[in-house]
Amino acid sequence: MPDLQALVTDFVLKLKRRKIEGSQATAKQTAELLRQVVSQQRMPYTNQASVLIDGVRAVGEQLIAANPIELAVGNIVRRVLHIIREENLSSTTAAMEGLGLTAGSDDDEGEHEDHPGLSAAAVAAAARSTLRAPSLQTLLEDIPESAVAPHPSSSGGDSEGKSKSADRSSRSKKLKHDVIEAINELIQDIDTCHELISEQAVEHIHQNEVILTLGRSRTVKEFLCAAKEKKRSFRVFVAEGAPRYQGHVLAKELVGKGIQTTVITDSAVFAMISRVNMVIVGAHAIMANGGVIAPVGINMVALAAQRHAVPFVVVAGSHKLCPLYPHNPEVLLNELKCPSDLLDFGEFSDCMDYGSLGGSPLLHVVNPAFDYVQPKLAARISNFVCSASSNQLPQPGGWSHGVKFPLLDHYGFGILDRFHGDDVESQGGHNPSYVYRLIADYYSADDLVNYLHPLLNHPMSSHDDCPSMIYGFLCSRCHHRLGGGEATARGQRGHEVRRVNSKIRIIGSAKEVDPS
Amino acid sequence: MDPNPKPNHGISAYYQTREEHHAIISGDWLSQAQAAAAAGHPPERPPASAAALSAASKPFSVIDEFNHWRRKPDLAEAVAAIMALVAGIRSSDAATMMELEIELKKASDALKSWDTTSISLSAGCDLFMRYVTRTSALEYEDFHAAKLRLIERGEKFGEISLKARRTIAMLGQDFIFDGCTILVHGFSRVVFEVLQLAASNRKLFRVFCTEGRPDKTGLRLSKELATLGIPVKLLIDSAVAYAMDEVDMVLVGADGVVESGGIINMMGTYQIALVAHSMNKPVYVAAESYKFARLYPLDQKDLEPALRPIEFGVPIPAGVEIEKSARDYTPPQYLTLLFTDLGVLTPSVVSDELIQLYL
Repeated sequence: MPDLQALVTDFVLKLKRRKIEGSQATAKQTAELLRQVVSQQRMPYTNQASVLIDGVRAVGEQLIAANPIELAVGNIVRRVLHIIREENLSSTTAAMEGLGLTAGSDDDEGEHEDHPGLSAAAVAAAARSTLRAPSLQTLLEDIPESAVAPHPSSSGGDSEGKSKSADRSSRSKKLKHDVIEAINELIQDIDTCHELISEQAVEHIHQNEVILTLGRSRTVKEFLCAAKEKKRSFRVFVAEGAPRYQGHVLAKELVGKGIQTTVITDSAVFAMISRVNMVIVGAHAIMANGGVIAPVGINMVALAAQRHAVPFVVVAGSHKLCPLYPHNPEVLLNELKCPSDLLDFGEFSDCMDYGSLGGSPLLHVVNPAFDYVQPKLAARISNFVCSASSNQLPQPGGWSHGVKFPLLDHYGFGILDRFHGDDVESQGGHNPSYVYRLIADYYSADDLVNYLHPLLNHPMSSHDDCPSMIYGFLCSRCHHRLGGGEATARGQRGHEVRRVNSKIRIIGSAKEVDPS
Repeated sequence: MDPNPKPNHGISAYYQTREEHHAIISGDWLSQAQAAAAAGHPPERPPASAAALSAASKPFSVIDEFNHWRRKPDLAEAVAAIMALVAGIRSSDAATMMELEIELKKASDALKSWDTTSISLSAGCDLFMRYVTRTSALEYEDFHAAKLRLIERGEKFGEISLKARRTIAMLGQDFIFDGCTILVHGFSRVVFEVLQLAASNRKLFRVFCTEGRPDKTGLRLSKELATLGIPVKLLIDSAVAYAMDEVDMVLVGADGVVESGGIINMMGTYQIALVAHSMNKPVYVAAESYKFARLYPLDQKDLEPALRPIEFGVPIPAGVEIEKSARDYTPPQYLTLLFTDLGVLTPSVVSDELIQLYL
């Protein structure tokens, strides 16, 4: 146990110091840590699932609070919780069926007849629907409370005592084992997400197309390389992605693979977009409403793509799929990075003189890491992804080709993502307005509500004298604490209120430099 | 001597119900309704009297029953419809499931044709009929158990509807942030509950109420909100565009949510959504999932108009027509999100849900 605690604190520290780069690494390490948590959890005889859930949740809250901006942490925690719920469910229903069978074979009780409605199938159906998101179909069925109550405790039955307990302990090991297996699968999914996504590259990239991307995303790189390997010839415009200029790195990598590459400045995106056939970008997170949090600059690319009706495709692994809506404050917390990306140290140091004006410098540098791209923004730009998304048939009897007219009202850019699972064997593009469907597959509704709210335990929430605790406004002082390694040249002039919302407009003191 | 004449003198039955409900609305009906729900069953169990009476004097009429239920202020029309159908089951002397289904079908058709303007009435009927025909559990039980189960579920529906409102309020209030300004239109019980919950969670926000001509439902809502201590500003209906600049979000209820994901709601919702859309403000809709209806209106005239009287205060010159429709259709592209008891949904999810249920 102390070993585990050390691991957790170690990981929390790493998250806080932003030592882990990239969502994929974060997601993977989170999943590995949670696997440790599960495997070291002591299992009681009853309520094993809830014990596991509590354990994972306790660790998960710490992790989320350590870096609320990295949404992948929260996603993985919720995924693991969902896994536990599902495994518990399948084991209890299996047990139920077993019980039903034995009762049927014994056949000495007359009361067996009294609960035909409570047969294993009915209980399984009820429990399934507690896991599922509520739907119109189940609106009238009476599952809500009754199905949750008679869980493992009642499944054993009081009549048979000891013979069951051995069976039960084996089942307890089985639950743990199953959960760990499922987490292993999850880790494998995270590992292989790039390959799975890039399998679809040929379907989307056609001969002699011109593709534009901004910055560097590993997923995009693998996607493009996969298309190249399949003998597609195409040309890529890479916007350099100021201020980190990751685009330069990407351009080098692409040239190394023999892809025709052109580097352009970010400000040239509008100039070049009319020659582009498709925009492919990576993302930091995909929100429940289909909005995308992406490296800064992408919103501009999306606007350009919309203006010229160029398909805008976001490629992202399923660990980036976040079940939260962007009204949630942690989503609006933009990471503010170090200003040294923008300005060299020393070059502007006289402008940042703290003594000049009541202890605050005239020059401010703001270096946000992310953009929020609205799902609506790209409302009319997708030409092909909509056809790609209509071949999704996650549930038998779910959607069909014939009835997709109502669905077309909302298509926007698609999100390419591949996921397995026996009930979902489709792959390919998703429309932003269908992200909810993926979320229903990956997450339990119980885990979406507020208790996984990182900010509740965060120092920021105790900073109540700050007038900017208003949604959408960040106090740079509070944010400074949150931002960790941020080293902006900001004075002690109290609270600066900046608005960081979808428009990424900066309000605040007139002295602030508009980053755009 | 029909006790329930088809209300054809220019006012739709649907609109009458609305008027009756909203005329007596006050802050305490909600608490009453909740207390009733918490206490278990609603205190009134009319069929005992009504059904007995009808059995004695005249044959059971589902429309009577519906009329009885729809006068209750806390009941939505869909709930009243289901209650009426349940009463139909109770008084039926069918001996097989098939017979019962046929009887129910007749009753629901009668209800639907009695008031063709009410969307939630037909949606409620459809939902219950689906439950009767679809529920696999019913097949394995003997007829009496199945009948009892149907009656029990139907009676629970009132609670389900109240619970739905509570769920919606919980989901919706997350979207209300401190310092925001919300524009509402007309009176909607769900919207009121969302705002009430947000206020009781000590969120600080401001509400702009439209007047809601001609029945002044906005005035009523503003009164309710003012008693809760929420800052309210009243706007005349034509001031929406003028005030939109200050507004952070639009929150409206819905009479019905149609298959396209659009909504049918009180007259004026469409223009508010258009203004909000052009000014890039989110439009949120709070609606219970039993209002999802299998309709696919292509334009405004595609709906049966729900007519109502309009008082202009001055004599209208002869030969001048008056637009009397009480509601309009807002297409889905002008809506941002729907708050329903199924979760927070994008408009396109509505068709999904309906397809799952009805196909």
